[in-house]
Amino acid sequence: MSILTLNNVHKHFGETPIICGVNLNIEEGERHAIIGPNGAGKSTLFHLISGKYPVTEGTISLRGQAIQNLPPYEIARRGLARSFQVTNIFPRLSVFENIRCGLLWKMGYGYSFWNLLGRQHDLNTAAHGILDQIGLSQRADYPAGELAYAQQRALELGIAIASGAEVIMLDEPVAGMSHSEAENAVALIRRVTEGKTLIMVEHDMSIVFGIADRISVLVYGELIACDTPSNIRSSEKVQEAYLGTVTADE
Amino acid sequence: MKKILTKSLVWIGYLAVLLLLPQFFDSILAVSLFNQMAIAIVFALSYNMLLGQGGMLSFGHAVYFGLGGFLAVHALLLIEFETVYFSIVYIPLLAGLVGLLAALFIGSFSTRKAGTVFAMISLGIGELLAASSLIFVSFFGGEAGVSGDRTYGPPLFGVEFFQGIEIYYLAAAWVFVATLFMYLFTQTPAGRMANAVRDNPERAEFIGYSARRVRYISFCASGFFAGIAGGLYALNYEFVTEETLNAVTSGRVLLMAYIGGLGYFIGPILGAVILTLMNSLLSNYTDLWMLYLGILFLLTVLFLPKGFAGFIMMHRVAWLQRRIRKLVLPYLATAIPAMVFMATCVLMLELSHIEDESISVLNMELSASSSSTWLGLLLIASTSMLVTRRTLPALREAWESANHVADEPESKS
Amino acid sequence: MFEVLVFATLNGLVTGLLLFMLASGLTLIFSMMGVLNFAHASFYMLGAYFAYSISLYLGFWPGLLIAPLLVGLLGALIERYGLRRVHQHGHVAELVFTFGLAFLIDEAVQFFWGPDTKNYQSPDVLDFPLFTLFGQEFSAYRGFMIGISVLIFIGLYRLLTRSRVGIIIQAAITHPHTVANLGHNVPLIFMAVFGVGSALAGVAGVIAGPVLTTFPGMATVLGSIVFVIVVIGGLGSLAGALIASLLIGLLQSYAIASNLGVADLLNLFGLEFSRDHLLTDLWTLTLPQIAPILPYLLLILVLIFRPTGLLGNREQ
Ligand SMILES: Nc1ncnc2c1ncn2[C@@H]1O[C@H](COP(=O)(O)OP(=O)(O)OP(=O)(O)O)[C@@H](O)[C@H]1O
Ligand SMILES: [Mg+2]
Repeated sequence: MSILTLNNVHKHFGETPIICGVNLNIEEGERHAIIGPNGAGKSTLFHLISGKYPVTEGTISLRGQAIQNLPPYEIARRGLARSFQVTNIFPRLSVFENIRCGLLWKMGYGYSFWNLLGRQHDLNTAAHGILDQIGLSQRADYPAGELAYAQQRALELGIAIASGAEVIMLDEPVAGMSHSEAENAVALIRRVTEGKTLIMVEHDMSIVFGIADRISVLVYGELIACDTPSNIRSSEKVQEAYLGTVTADE
Repeated sequence: MKKILTKSLVWIGYLAVLLLLPQFFDSILAVSLFNQMAIAIVFALSYNMLLGQGGMLSFGHAVYFGLGGFLAVHALLLIEFETVYFSIVYIPLLAGLVGLLAALFIGSFSTRKAGTVFAMISLGIGELLAASSLIFVSFFGGEAGVSGDRTYGPPLFGVEFFQGIEIYYLAAAWVFVATLFMYLFTQTPAGRMANAVRDNPERAEFIGYSARRVRYISFCASGFFAGIAGGLYALNYEFVTEETLNAVTSGRVLLMAYIGGLGYFIGPILGAVILTLMNSLLSNYTDLWMLYLGILFLLTVLFLPKGFAGFIMMHRVAWLQRRIRKLVLPYLATAIPAMVFMATCVLMLELSHIEDESISVLNMELSASSSSTWLGLLLIASTSMLVTRRTLPALREAWESANHVADEPESKS
Repeated sequence: MFEVLVFATLNGLVTGLLLFMLASGLTLIFSMMGVLNFAHASFYMLGAYFAYSISLYLGFWPGLLIAPLLVGLLGALIERYGLRRVHQHGHVAELVFTFGLAFLIDEAVQFFWGPDTKNYQSPDVLDFPLFTLFGQEFSAYRGFMIGISVLIFIGLYRLLTRSRVGIIIQAAITHPHTVANLGHNVPLIFMAVFGVGSALAGVAGVIAGPVLTTFPGMATVLGSIVFVIVVIGGLGSLAGALIASLLIGLLQSYAIASNLGVADLLNLFGLEFSRDHLLTDLWTLTLPQIAPILPYLLLILVLIFRPTGLLGNREQ
């Protein structure tokens, strides 16, 4: 059963079409990668799905329920979490608080102003658990804004997974990391998305082909292919439109 | 466990200070000063719920304070004319509810955005209400204001609230409770998410929280506590005018919170105490106290962006590392000439203000009309200024070495 | 009725254009630096006081020239040594700084000039009625005010759209980083714009001083209204500021000139209410009474329904 369905999704910024009629089915539990050249509209597609921008046309549904044009928090509450390409954390809160905030809604606290955070044993244990997972326990009390770049990326990921969402969308989670950091991050992503649906934008092909069950290729706002890694690798259309340009660049 | 213990000790200490203050300073003047401080503390803390914790810069926070105050005097009047009959002890709560009600209404449209839009709406509403209060004379009493009498209510354990000191204990109780609840609010999910929304409203929405709703909750809570402060004000002065809800009061609370330090819970408390003290002490000695206040404020914004609380916290590391003693001498070396400089400037301002009289300082008659006085003062001012500037680098160095922590080895590559 | 309308329009025009002189500087400063300068009206007040002091020795006309220059210089210095320093601490710090500055300038004015109203007079040359309509005189000085304001608007408009500097400024309004990357000295531009904006406020003060009286409260009177105009017009839009200034000027002027009240409105529907009632104030409300609150009402409505302002396209 597909958990996320995009049907003829369009997005224009003013007159400029950025996403032009994307159809996509993501199956429950699959690891799906979206690739494409710079400026293809991958992040924009993420923004449309997660509710940052309204769609110009088309429908998006999560578990059969239409979610297009809902505010981000509604979509998040329905079990879709995401990270951002540009680090997007709470800089003045401590690392621990960042994670704990990510957990709050899922654990049913809502807008409560009658529970004291310090007393919520389960919540705090869960937050420490996630800190352990992303390897930031040492830094728990640091202001998040003072972390090193790779650590901020890890925190970015941590906030996204804290919500315990079924669908996790990661926008270039390892971009800008050193090789070893990226390896750690990929292992972490594998571990924490076990049994969940992962949608990921990534430029590093070795990572993409290593992790993905299926790959979609987005070029100039159009989905030109959506298939298994081996088929994508051998597809001439993709070679031409995308992989070709990459090799030419390098 | 240890943390909880220290925290409880802090709160007990706070309560003790509140209760014991009038034992040490019991003049009428001192008690009236304490009353003002108590009111200012609640008001400034409530303001910081908006600005410091929620990132909402308000130029109209006096609205909730003033409405609470007006309701409170009207409640006093109702008690006086025996329409209702209850102890005035509860009036701050009533005033708080009025503040809450106003905030529920105004916040429903003003918290949609933070930033400039919020600031401008708050300014507009503040001005709107202040102007309207002069029109709706039957409730706001026009220019003259409304006055009441707090002694008509039923006495509480024989206390009739005739004297300032009785009001002080009432206020102290409310201040303690209000402070405690405002602190506890910061420790709840809603309070923590207010910080998160302040830092990054966009991300907050992607973890399930509507930034607007989070702001709205803080906004309402803040209105509630501002109303309580207004109620205490009315009980203390038994007299409320348009000034309690206009821009002057809104500006004053911003000043207090900012000077004290927005980033720290105790910042506004410090700010409220310092400013109230300055207000009443300075205004006794000089006509120019507003000018000094303005200068102090600008200097704080320029040189202590995190306020007094932030300044104190700058020494946390040095304190923990037991290196604070190394700072004493460098501080003195800078502070003494700086003080001399400031004192000379004050003297010159005062001299030029009270033309053709003279001031006696340290057994010297300084005449405003003699040029030698001015020359001398200018000389002292410029020398002390120079010395201050010369000693500053040394101070900075000392501070840096005292606050230096060896960064723990961590893979940062 | 007609004559009331004509005079209300003329007076509204004078006020509106005066407000525009303040608002134009403020909106320029805002759109470039993102700072809503609370002290803007204080510069206006300084302009009036400087011009007053100068007029005591040199007469009105030199004051018209020198006072704005002094105010502009002061503004530039404050930008350079104050605002730029707090800039690194963020927008709230900047706003709070200008807020404190307004407070300090108010106090300083009282310190130097005392708390009483100054007898700052319009020049004798302009002390004649420009024309007489329906037996009412319209003074030449008011005509002069309109003239100066229109001249400034045209000058500013041409400067911004025709000159090289103007084009750089316009670019810096929307894309400060790009402009900096092109090698222009953005901090210097900021300082200059702040200076010019303050000087404009100074001009407004110089010519408004004799009509609206020169006293320490004159900044407070206009301070928040100018804010309102800039926001209603749309942050960063000069044309919007002009429209909003005229709108507010006329609105207030008409409201003051009319003597309609709620009672009239109720009478229209054949309703009447007894005078002594808890809500008496509401039934006896008249338009002149609510004139001072109209701008704020408008502000709140605009912010709720169109947060970008009338002509603005930036939401802050
Ligand atoms: N808010 C916006 N307004 C106008 N144009 C936009 C906006 N956001 C993105 N764009 C444009 O849409 C196009 C797609 O951008 P997007 O960020 O989605 O690309 P991307 O595929 O994520 O690229 P990259 O690999 O560099 O992250 C780009 O040309 C960008 O300039
Ligand atoms: Mg992208």
